[in-house]
Amino acid sequence: MIQTFVQRFTGNRSTLRAAEHRFIVIALIPTILFYAIVKFYPIFFSFFISMHEWSLFGNVSPFVGFDNYALLAKDSLFYKVMWNTMYRTFAGTFLGAFCSLIVALILNPIKRGSILLRLIYFLPVMTSVIASATIWKWMLQTRFGLLNQLLSVVGIQPVPWLQSTTWAMPSIIVMGIWGGIGFTVIIYLAGLKGIPRDYYEAAEIDGASSIQLALKITLPLLKPVVSFVLITGVIGGFSGGFQAIYMMTGGGPLDSTRVLALHIYDYAFQRMFMGQASSMSFVLFAIVLILTLVQFKLQRVDWEL
Amino acid sequence: MANQDFVGVPSQIDTQSLSGASSEFQRLRRGLLFNYLVLGAGAILMVVPFIWMISTSFKPQAETVSFPPRLFPISPTISNYIDVFDRANMGRLYWNTTFISVIKTVFNIYTSALLGYIFGKFVFRGRDIIFYILLSTWIIPFEVYLIPLYLMTVQVGWADTFTALIVPEIFTVYAMFMFRQFMYTIPTELIDAARIDGAGEWYIFHRIIIPLSRAALFTLVAFYFMWNWNDFLWPLVVISDHDKYVITVGLATFVGEFWNQYGVIMAGASLAIIPILALFIAVQRFIIEGVVLTGLKG
Repeated sequence: MIQTFVQRFTGNRSTLRAAEHRFIVIALIPTILFYAIVKFYPIFFSFFISMHEWSLFGNVSPFVGFDNYALLAKDSLFYKVMWNTMYRTFAGTFLGAFCSLIVALILNPIKRGSILLRLIYFLPVMTSVIASATIWKWMLQTRFGLLNQLLSVVGIQPVPWLQSTTWAMPSIIVMGIWGGIGFTVIIYLAGLKGIPRDYYEAAEIDGASSIQLALKITLPLLKPVVSFVLITGVIGGFSGGFQAIYMMTGGGPLDSTRVLALHIYDYAFQRMFMGQASSMSFVLFAIVLILTLVQFKLQRVDWEL
Repeated sequence: MANQDFVGVPSQIDTQSLSGASSEFQRLRRGLLFNYLVLGAGAILMVVPFIWMISTSFKPQAETVSFPPRLFPISPTISNYIDVFDRANMGRLYWNTTFISVIKTVFNIYTSALLGYIFGKFVFRGRDIIFYILLSTWIIPFEVYLIPLYLMTVQVGWADTFTALIVPEIFTVYAMFMFRQFMYTIPTELIDAARIDGAGEWYIFHRIIIPLSRAALFTLVAFYFMWNWNDFLWPLVVISDHDKYVITVGLATFVGEFWNQYGVIMAGASLAIIPILALFIAVQRFIIEGVVLTGLKG
């Protein structure tokens, strides 16, 4: 350690510098080229497209300035889409974070069988959303689906889960929670591991009950992890939901599950309004950017860990 | 001694009986019983969809819609699976998906390890600014890229090719970030010692850094393989030739065609899920520990 320190400040390593330099340059040149072409240029290109009435077929793409954005501001369907997106995002994130927290808190003290339990909760995370959505669509089927058949045993009339404007979105949200709970639980468990045991021992000597322990020690110390889960959940939620909704409802009934990601895909690749779709993707970009900046402000993320 | 294990267990309220080994034991039994009951109920909810999928996939069409629902088919059949292999070209889908996922994952992990090493272990001018510029692309939703990348793909003549599925995703930010974090656990002295012994930079990277990063590497390989295997939107947009479909797109198309033949659809879903699930259960110890290890911290 001292040796490295000395070397660094005496420039003893200068003989090695040329080789290191070459190594860095060889690695970075393709990287920077890739990011410039695949990650940065498309953003400007997308903005350029959003300024045009761009259709895949037909060679004429007239420049329309900010008309696409102005159209969005007047489009009642777009407001509905934004409402659906926020409904799915906030309900899904908060409910999901809550359920995962409960599971993590009661899973944490368990030793025997904990690996098996984690694995079971993790199963849906590993499954492709396309496949799980296929299963859920079948379980929620109105006449023959498992859920309605079980409900009929206790005398509840069949509910058309995915064909009802009231129930379609909650169904998709519940499926999303089922699909993501395993991942969030593992994040919480990592956070719980980081809480020093001494705190609990000290509080127990003072006669604290386990509810007090949970409320006064665990939750406050877990707050950074909880807010990490919530914020990343909300940011991800705005651009998410495509696969599940594409498979289960296609955005229906009556656009009640049409979220932004699906709407962009639909406009760009089904209706071929690429300019309009690009303007929507920029609205999404702006929302995500603002939320991320808010996150940086609220919570100085410890990048160095 | 076991007291601290009961954090967050509502049933463990009486602190009066703290003394005495037998009451300690009873508290342990009672406290954990509650935990096991709740987690067990939750676990059943988690696996019911999978069990119902497998159950339905072995039922003949008439039985899938019979009431009351039965867990075990009366006359189990594998005809649904035969149907899927015949009509959905399952072998082809498996091959395409495996081929693309393996190549993408190898690229993802290699480039990320290299960049993580460079940003984590070297000191050069502009290092941090370059790193944060690359990292900033992490927050950009894929929907922003969907349209321009598609048009660019068409422009260079890659539409409907595997190249279009692989090339735009060679470099990846998340794994790069994770590898950079991991580099802090590798002592710099080791690298310096290798240099003094005359090892070249690439030799050090391949023979010292990569082997020492095993723990992070396994986890990231598993996760990237899973993400690449389950990728949907980009293949859906770029590939139109049925022979080049990946498994997710193949399943979605298949479900659209056979929407009311539940047994066949569930057989298709099973076949899409089972390989990746089997792979994951085989290496699960690495993964679950690795999420913690790679430093997922708030």
